[in-house]
Amino acid sequence: MIVRRLIAVLGVGALLAAAGCGGSAPSGAAVDAAGSGDGPVRIGALHPVSGSMAVDGLQMRRGAQLAVEQINESGGIASLGGRRVQLTTADTQGKPEIGQSEAQRLISDGAVGLVGTYQSSVSSNVAVVAERNEVPFVMDVTASDEIFQHGYRHSFRVQPGSAKISESAADYLKQVSEQAGEPAGRVAVLHEQTDFGTGAADTFEAAARKLGMEVGPRVSYDATTASDFTSQITQVKASDADVLVVAGYYGDSLLIAQAIDAVKPDLDAVWGVSNGAYDQPKFVSDAGELGDRYFSTNYHFDAQNPETRRLRAEYRQRFGAPMRTGAVLSYDAVQAIAAGVEEAGSTDPAAVRNGIARAQIDPLTVGDGPVRFGPDGENVNSAAVLMQIQNGRVKQVYPPEKAESDPDYSVAW
Amino acid sequence: MTTTIDTDAPETRAPSATLAVLKRAGVVGALVAAAVAVALVQSGSGIVVWQSVVTGLLTGGLYGLIAMGLTLIFGVLDIVNFAHGAMLAVAMFISFGVVAVTGLHPYLTMLITVPALFLVGVLVHRGLLSGSGGATLENQLLITLGLSLLLENGLLLFFGAEPKNVGLPGETHLDVFGAVVAGSRLYAFLGAMALGLLLYWMLQHTRLGTAIRAVASNSAGAELVGINVRRIHTLTFAIGAACAGAAAALAVPLLSVTPTLGEQFNITAFVVVVLGGMGNVVGALVGGLLIGLVEQLTTIYLDGQSSLLGVFVVFVLVLFLRPQGLFGRRT
Repeated sequence: MIVRRLIAVLGVGALLAAAGCGGSAPSGAAVDAAGSGDGPVRIGALHPVSGSMAVDGLQMRRGAQLAVEQINESGGIASLGGRRVQLTTADTQGKPEIGQSEAQRLISDGAVGLVGTYQSSVSSNVAVVAERNEVPFVMDVTASDEIFQHGYRHSFRVQPGSAKISESAADYLKQVSEQAGEPAGRVAVLHEQTDFGTGAADTFEAAARKLGMEVGPRVSYDATTASDFTSQITQVKASDADVLVVAGYYGDSLLIAQAIDAVKPDLDAVWGVSNGAYDQPKFVSDAGELGDRYFSTNYHFDAQNPETRRLRAEYRQRFGAPMRTGAVLSYDAVQAIAAGVEEAGSTDPAAVRNGIARAQIDPLTVGDGPVRFGPDGENVNSAAVLMQIQNGRVKQVYPPEKAESDPDYSVAW
Repeated sequence: MTTTIDTDAPETRAPSATLAVLKRAGVVGALVAAAVAVALVQSGSGIVVWQSVVTGLLTGGLYGLIAMGLTLIFGVLDIVNFAHGAMLAVAMFISFGVVAVTGLHPYLTMLITVPALFLVGVLVHRGLLSGSGGATLENQLLITLGLSLLLENGLLLFFGAEPKNVGLPGETHLDVFGAVVAGSRLYAFLGAMALGLLLYWMLQHTRLGTAIRAVASNSAGAELVGINVRRIHTLTFAIGAACAGAAAALAVPLLSVTPTLGEQFNITAFVVVVLGGMGNVVGALVGGLLIGLVEQLTTIYLDGQSSLLGVFVVFVLVLFLRPQGLFGRRT
């Protein structure tokens, strides 16, 4: 009897949770006069500024805002007679269905282009809205490669995709370990189990095998419930792996660092792939000595670029926190849309879309050259960089032309 | 409505009932031993399995501690408290705040979190649940669910989503026959066991405990013999909440403190409650240990697929084979 009640209650709970997921039905392109008239050119920014992703979402909204200010300070859109640019913002709350309806709202309000969204699941939905309304959508942070397999004409992405990062990670691992005289033979992989971690682990495994490395054991985990990684690290220790690859988020990465410190597996290096923690100042300070010498392959703001330094200094001064890579990517994404408007000389979203496809902008994030979008919408010059935590700071260490210091291929314990 | 709280004093319990419990414990023990043996074959490494067992038991103690408060509230008040996880989060933030401001040892914050959560429990029960608004099951569900949203978003508003960390001063690692055990996890486990026994003793051997069991067994009868049922309900809810407060102080060095951390324990705690028998405090503790083990062993069986998969397989099996829980009685 009690059990039946409990099941009924849990069922109702599940229904309630599901009830929040109804999507909104967008109704064709509705670009009002504000976008095409004499007012400012509107760029829509979609980020999760409430909910558990709020810290990053707020960072990215501010990054986009700084880009708009920079554009206006240097004279607005020249090809439109110096028209000013305005950022219209929306909160996705980290939820795909909210992102979808908010994207529709921004487009109805006359946005000539959208930037966002930090989460692949939200970006997937926004990309559909953008495609249907024929408004360009430039993604700042969106790891999943799946969005780019539908042949969307209006989706663009500044950051390197998940596959590109993982392949670079395998590549860098081989080169750095060989340079250090201890070529990596067997690599253990620990990854969180959603699309993000699994995708990163899959492509890394394929690339590493191609380069002659063995992969295993491969262990996945649920980042939302895991509270202790001692068993998993013991499993790594019991194997004869030289390197441990970790693809995870902040909380789990910290727990993994604690477990590594407890178990002390016999490794040559800890190697983050698209890791959400190892390149964040927050992880560096919270993990302290535990995180020392961890490597991380990811997209990153270009620490060697004076313009990036200026931007980050301004951000720190105004908002009192270090500017994260995500925010710098938002900055680049807004610049890409503005360049598209400049190129098109029009605020018609279809023309802006073609403008973005032709435009080139100098990124403040690490890349192999100016941001330029290929036919699939991916930034052809996007690149991942290898970083390492050295003496309590995240340093770019590889490839050499982007390096701030040399990689130290060793572990701290 | 009757519930599964032990209402007999131990000495008057029929010997056959004790025997049945022992028999079930034996079956469960045999199943666990078999599961460990399969894990050994599967992984081929003794140390990996041993580490998993140790980790599983230590984590399980924490689950048991969290589930104890939930099961007590459910057993006596028939309230499924969806806000239990959120209350845990509130207590963790209190603990974090006290450590950050005063530099107190994290475990000593229990002196503050327990009374604070007790008070929260009193206020929530008196203010939200005990009136006519909380009379029906649907209303209780909506009230506790709404409360959890309110608490979580309140924490988000005041503390932000940035995870907070509390270190344990003098953290060490112990070697238990080859398995590594962090001191903080061992202390949390021992604390959980001690609190579980304390709660059990309180229920069995104090006037308050007897009154709680009487209300759980038959609230109309309890009222007839002069027990203030509403007061007992409030006290029970408050004690359940205080359990979350104690769990928070013990667990705060182990986790990143975030406003939404309660979610990750809510589901597991409900499974533990069902497994151990709803309303059975000792059952919750044992159920917690079992679920901790199941989680870790699932990781070995399935090469680290979601450990929740194994937990839910066990959950479904228990509902199917023994819906009153391992240590509950048929109602």
